[in-house]
Amino acid sequence: MLIIAGIVPALHIPLLTDVVSQGQDSIIVSGYSIPCGQGTAATVSVALAVTDYLGLDSPRVALAGDKGSGEGSQKVYQYLINNIEKLKPRVLALHYWMPNLDLMRMLYKNIEKCSPRPILIADAASMYTAKAAGLAPGFDIFTPDTSEMAFLADPEAFHPAYINKHLFKLDEDKIPELINLAYKHQGAAKILLVKGKRDIIADGGNILATIDSPNIPAMECIGGTGDTITGMCAALAYSGMSLDQAAIASAKVNRMAGLLAAVNPASSINAVIKQIPAALAQALNT
Amino acid sequence: MTWFDKRNKLTNDKQEKEKISCGLVLFDSVQDAIQAEKILTKNKNRCRLVAPPPELRKGCDLALEISLIEQAIIERLLEPKVPYIEITPLRGTTELLDVIKIYTYDGYTMVKAGNMKLTFEDVSGIIVNTSGGGCPDIPYLHMELVGHRLNEIPRPRHIGHTLCALMLDRAVEGALKIWEEGTV
Repeated sequence: MLIIAGIVPALHIPLLTDVVSQGQDSIIVSGYSIPCGQGTAATVSVALAVTDYLGLDSPRVALAGDKGSGEGSQKVYQYLINNIEKLKPRVLALHYWMPNLDLMRMLYKNIEKCSPRPILIADAASMYTAKAAGLAPGFDIFTPDTSEMAFLADPEAFHPAYINKHLFKLDEDKIPELINLAYKHQGAAKILLVKGKRDIIADGGNILATIDSPNIPAMECIGGTGDTITGMCAALAYSGMSLDQAAIASAKVNRMAGLLAAVNPASSINAVIKQIPAALAQALNT
Repeated sequence: MTWFDKRNKLTNDKQEKEKISCGLVLFDSVQDAIQAEKILTKNKNRCRLVAPPPELRKGCDLALEISLIEQAIIERLLEPKVPYIEITPLRGTTELLDVIKIYTYDGYTMVKAGNMKLTFEDVSGIIVNTSGGGCPDIPYLHMELVGHRLNEIPRPRHIGHTLCALMLDRAVEGALKIWEEGTV
C-alpha cells in the first residue's frame, strides 16, 4: 500500500482516507473532487498517474481540508498515529501540513513499530517537521529545493524563514556544501533529491547523480513542480525501484514532462501532470 | 538516585529540543504581556507567559512563548490591540530572512524570498504563479493570489497563518516594488 498524507485548501473537505481515482484535472476521493492545484493534490495526482502507468494499486490518501489554522492537519496526524500499525503501508509520503513536533514524534514512534518498516518520504512542511524534530536520518527520501536545502543544513533552524542568511545567499553551485552540512548535522534523510537548476541526488553525502537536462528554467516558477517529483518518487519506490533510482528517474521525468508541456512561467501544474505518462514512457524505455 | 537523574536529564533534553519550534513575543510592559496572553488563549493559539532568557531580554521581564510557526496569525491578532517589541525565535537565527533574489524570464519576473517564490507578468503585474513553501496555508494562498494584479491582492500576512505566509508576503513586497518602479 502507498499512502500519501497532507492537506488540501478547502475547509469543506473532511478527513478522507480512501483509495484515490483520477477526475478531470482533479483527484476523486470518497466522492469528493479535489482540483489538482499546487500542493498535496498535485502529488497524489502524479502518484496515481505513475501507478496507473505501471499497473499498480492506486494510492490511498489521508487528506483533510486546511487553509492554515492547522485543524485539518491535526486530523491527518491523528489518523496516521492511530492507524499506521494496522495499515502497514509499503511507502508513506508525508506532505503539506502544519508542523507539530510532538505529533510527528508520536507518528514516527508508531511507524517504527510497523514490520516491515515503511519507506518514508517527506516534502514540504512534513520535511521541515521531521528535520526540526531530529528525525531526519530515519526518513528515506527528502525532496528539498535549494532554499530548503539551506534550511536542512542549518542545525538551529526550525523553518526556512529563520535560516542563516549566509546559507541562503550561497550560489547554487555550492549546494554540495549544503548537502554535506545537512548530513553532518543530522538534517538529511538517507537520500536527498535537491530540486534546482541542476537536480542533485545524494546518498549519505555522496553525490549519486546530477540532472540538468532538459533545461526548463520556467519550471521553477510553476507552483507544484516539486510536488510532482515527490509523487513520482513515492510511486516509483512503491513499484520496487531502488530509492536512488526512483529519485533519479523522478527528476528526469519531471523535466521531460515540462518539456513536453512546453511550459512558460505562467503555466499551471496541470499542464505538466498531463504529460507525466508520456514522459515516463520515454524515460523507462530509454 | 541515578534513575532520577537520568529521567531529569531526558526531560531537560526534550525541553531543550522543543525550544526549536518556540518563539517569544517581547513586550515593554507586563500588562501588555498579560493582555496578549488572554487574546491568544481566546483564539486557541498555544502560548504561555515566561521570563525571557537574558540574551533575548528587551523591555519588561515577562514574555509570551508561542509556537513560532503561527507568527503570521499571532502578529495579526496582537497588532491592533497590544503593542509588542518583536517576535523572535528561542533558538537559532533571530531575524526573519529578509533577503530576496530576483530572476528574470522573457516577460516575467520571479521573486524568491526564502522558501517562497512568486512570479508576475512584467507588463500587467498579474501574478501568474507562486511556488515553494510547505505550510498548510500555502495552497490556499496560491489560489487567492494567482491571476490577480500585485496591487489588488489581499496580502499573505493578512490572510495567512504561518511563517511560509510571511515569506510569501516578503516576495509580494519585493515584486510590488519592482513592478511599481518599473525596474524589471
